[in-house]
Amino acid sequence: MPSGVKPGRYFVQGDEAIAEGAIAAGCRFFAGYPITPSSEASETMARRLPEVGGVCLQMEDELASIHSVGGAAVGGLKAMTISSGPGISLKLEGLGWGIKNEIPYVVVDIQRAGPSNGVATRVGQGDLYTVRYGSAGGNHCTIALSPKSTQEAFDLTIECFNFSEIFRCPVFLLSDETVGHTRELLVIPEESELKVVKRIKPTVSPEQFVMYPLDTPGVINHPFPNIGEGYGICVSPYTHTSKGYASTAQEIQEKMAKRLVYKVTENLDKLLRVEKQKMEDAEFAVVAYGGNARPAIAAMEMARERGMRVGFFRPIIVWPFPDGEVLKVAEKVKAILVCELNIDGQLVREVARAAKGKAKVYHLGSGGVEPHLPAQIFSEVRRLYK
Amino acid sequence: MAITIIKDFCKGCGFCIANCPKKVYEVSNEMSKKGYRLPSPVRVEDCIECGLCDLHCPDFAIVVEKTKKKEKGKAKGKEAR
Amino acid sequence: MSAAGQTLKLLHPLVEKYLRKERMPHMACSGCGIGQVVHSTLLAIDDLGLTPQDTVWVQGVGCSSRITYSTWVGDNVDAHHGRIFAVATGLKMARPDMNFILFTGDGDCGAIGGNHFIHACRRNLDVTAILFNNGIYGMTGGQVAPTSPVGAVTTTTPYGNIEDPFDMCQMAVAAGASYVARWRSTDFKPLVASIKKGIQTKGLAFIEVLLQCPTNFGRYVLKTSSPLEVVKWIKEHSVTQKEAEKLSKDDLAGKYLLGEFVHRPERRGIVERYQELLKQHQKE
Repeated sequence: MPSGVKPGRYFVQGDEAIAEGAIAAGCRFFAGYPITPSSEASETMARRLPEVGGVCLQMEDELASIHSVGGAAVGGLKAMTISSGPGISLKLEGLGWGIKNEIPYVVVDIQRAGPSNGVATRVGQGDLYTVRYGSAGGNHCTIALSPKSTQEAFDLTIECFNFSEIFRCPVFLLSDETVGHTRELLVIPEESELKVVKRIKPTVSPEQFVMYPLDTPGVINHPFPNIGEGYGICVSPYTHTSKGYASTAQEIQEKMAKRLVYKVTENLDKLLRVEKQKMEDAEFAVVAYGGNARPAIAAMEMARERGMRVGFFRPIIVWPFPDGEVLKVAEKVKAILVCELNIDGQLVREVARAAKGKAKVYHLGSGGVEPHLPAQIFSEVRRLYK
Repeated sequence: MAITIIKDFCKGCGFCIANCPKKVYEVSNEMSKKGYRLPSPVRVEDCIECGLCDLHCPDFAIVVEKTKKKEKGKAKGKEAR
Repeated sequence: MSAAGQTLKLLHPLVEKYLRKERMPHMACSGCGIGQVVHSTLLAIDDLGLTPQDTVWVQGVGCSSRITYSTWVGDNVDAHHGRIFAVATGLKMARPDMNFILFTGDGDCGAIGGNHFIHACRRNLDVTAILFNNGIYGMTGGQVAPTSPVGAVTTTTPYGNIEDPFDMCQMAVAAGASYVARWRSTDFKPLVASIKKGIQTKGLAFIEVLLQCPTNFGRYVLKTSSPLEVVKWIKEHSVTQKEAEKLSKDDLAGKYLLGEFVHRPERRGIVERYQELLKQHQKE
């Protein structure tokens, strides 16, 4: 099968970059349902996946998309689905199947203004908590990465696939309409320069292999045998034993919950990715992510031009949230301004929690449709800066 | 020829008793560990090895060891019901 | 001489060959027809020479699935409620070389799973789906199903069901499945033959099986505790298509039609069509 990597310089939207990143990562199954502002990615996959021998299906709805992605992953393929807020809400139960059975695949959310259908064609940032806590029942830790540009959309999609195989779980690419629809430079390197993690297969016999390592909750890089490989795998939506047999025992539930949580929390060092600009001597920090990051960086530069010691901080891996790094920022600066495209306050809650009161935390929220203008953010920075 | 009731699988539904064309089975006084009244092949000498008890048993609890040829026609008539 | 109730070491040959011993006896209620349908399925698998290496059992949620899940000695994939056909689409497109036998139920296929069922038939996905129709929601305690007869008293229709039941076979025919049939759990010979035919037919094989649920349908709808009474009720309310030709419309009311409804293996399904797409567009 052709590798699908097409080295070169391209002028494309973030959505298309995500599709190319997926193919470069080895994704060979895509299922989706059209939803603005993600459809361009689905359309790119429809065109490109058959070229590389992959399967691309437009399914009948959002649920069929995520469930067939789960099925394809169990069937042996790297798989992905893409949607926006309303569709992600629909997918949440299906996501639980992937979480529970430790199935690797990637879910992309191109966030748009909400709630409900909101403004389909315009940006929002209201799904931060949805992707973390939306799937029923808790007892798991989400991994979510968020790009600020077309280039990052490509790069981080590959990372998402890698993390999904290493941690054996669904991983989110939490993007938004600003990144999804901005057309800019994408550089695809030679295939040899890309780091792609292959699916890990068992080296022991089926009798010895532990499908779900409940007794070693912190392990990662755990093999994932698929159907037809002689391992007699059992996959179930219910709480189950290490073999996959459904169980109502409290002991099993406890072990399973710990497994799904600890495999992330005991490996946080591998899931730390942040961006800092001019934080060394900063007294004030501006925090933003995704499509709102570059306006915040521009506002930071405006402040610096006027002699204000302002720095910029961005979580690139938004879940697990980089508590330690935010605390370092809070201990350094007097105040933090969190700029996000929601009024209810999601990123700001995480920053305030992680800051532990070491710095004042302020919220510049907007309902969405447009990202913040640099001038808007700068105006607030100037007002708060002392 | 032997008929074995696998006691741990039988759930006392009575299908073997009801469907045997030769009335080989009756409810016995024996109870399984789970409290089901077990059937017993009391007239095993009348067994024609049609295999209907095996087929009708939802729990794979009957094993009929076949030693003679199936009597054609009789079994067919019952199965088509 | 008989040797009633011998040691545990003797197992039914089908259990010996195809089922996980540690998962037996399965958890169906006494008298439930699910075990009978599993028996017919295993006979079909055995006759055709399918193996645990090349065949996957796929389930949803409900008695059909929870009882059969993790009994097959090969791979078992149990999907969320209603999503069995969607999961099977992913499985089959990833591994078109393997056989997939789906066990689904009234709600799993006809209610929450309706949309995926319709589209799987439309796509003519090359799998064999067995619908366990017991006219009620068993696993959750006896609520009304889209397949419950009119007038059925259930836990959510205490005054009697006012909705007409869903003819899932006709839906499968209309949506495009290659092979559609309906039998009862006690129609062993034709059921085994249908399952074999379904497995061998390219495209979606949909086999609906009417079966007894003594615990819920028996108790609530028929007011009986006897599994035999439920089997009798099913027999009294089902007719072959030939018999139906001689009956009036009134006599046919409330009766299930048995037999084969369609067999069109020439209708190409998504697996075949996708392979052709790849032949045309795959580079290298």
